[in-house]
Amino acid sequence: MKILIYGFATGILFGFLLQRGQVLRYEKQLGALRLLDMTIVKFMLSSILVAMVGIYLLFDLGLVKLSVKPTILGGNILGGLVFGVGWGLFGFCPGTAVGAAGEGRWGVLWGIAGMIVGAAVFAETYPFLKSTVLTWGNLGKLTLPQVLGLNHWIVIPVMIAAILSLFYWFEKSGL
Amino acid sequence: MGHGGTFLSVKGKTVSGKSREGWSPYLAGALTGLVMVFSVWLSGKFFGASTSFVRTAGLLESLVAPERVERLPYFLENPPKLDWQWMFVLGILLGSYAAAKLFGDFRWEAVPPMWQERFGSDQVTRGLTAFAGGAVAIFGARLADG
Repeated sequence: MKILIYGFATGILFGFLLQRGQVLRYEKQLGALRLLDMTIVKFMLSSILVAMVGIYLLFDLGLVKLSVKPTILGGNILGGLVFGVGWGLFGFCPGTAVGAAGEGRWGVLWGIAGMIVGAAVFAETYPFLKSTVLTWGNLGKLTLPQVLGLNHWIVIPVMIAAILSLFYWFEKSGL
Repeated sequence: MGHGGTFLSVKGKTVSGKSREGWSPYLAGALTGLVMVFSVWLSGKFFGASTSFVRTAGLLESLVAPERVERLPYFLENPPKLDWQWMFVLGILLGSYAAAKLFGDFRWEAVPPMWQERFGSDQVTRGLTAFAGGAVAIFGARLADG
């Protein structure tokens, strides 16, 4: 029960910030895909930047566990390509679709219904996918520091510098 | 009176302009990063949404064919019931509604303006495209384990 309340409270905060960051708009989502408006990229990379530093700090203090998903090239690449097609057509990812409904953009209900149907199809085909696509190029649970053989406090500042340079370039180009 | 009217209209523009632009995506994103850190710290949970749609599909299917849902391998691994993430997704709806109402951003909208400019305002065309796109997107997201 407590974990459900944590989930609900965390979702409320996240939904509030998604709305304030103006990332729940079809125009912002398609704007990113069309390389016209980098609002959602700024939002995502800012959150990753802060979370990366905070979570690794807590990790070093032994306060949290990382949750590393396995790298399966078949699933990651094919799934990513399929997701991109759907994202372009609908204009929302699963979380932002729900947020957009909260803003009153009720047209997203069509897409949410589609997502529930697509999810049911996924559950039906999961055994087949698990024995085919999801076995192709299974590299196990990888992290960037591990692959590079470097301490994460070497990789993190490089990531920060790269993200900040990208932000600087976005602002300079008016994206 | 003229002065007052001008002041009000100028003020009105500023207010609506502000609400249209919202907060800086850098600020809202960085605050989201903080929420992520506290979530991982306090409840051990990382953000995600797509699995909840599969659970919802399972919950709905359970209404008509519960024994079939019980046998599907995906639902054995991910039981179709409410969990942290499902409540998280529900929270997004409420949080976004609260922010939109609070800052005057709430608007009923069937077809997004950018879509209308290119493809027209027909709700069914947009709706069917969104439906198909949503179905494809969630399938890809689950396949990539994203």
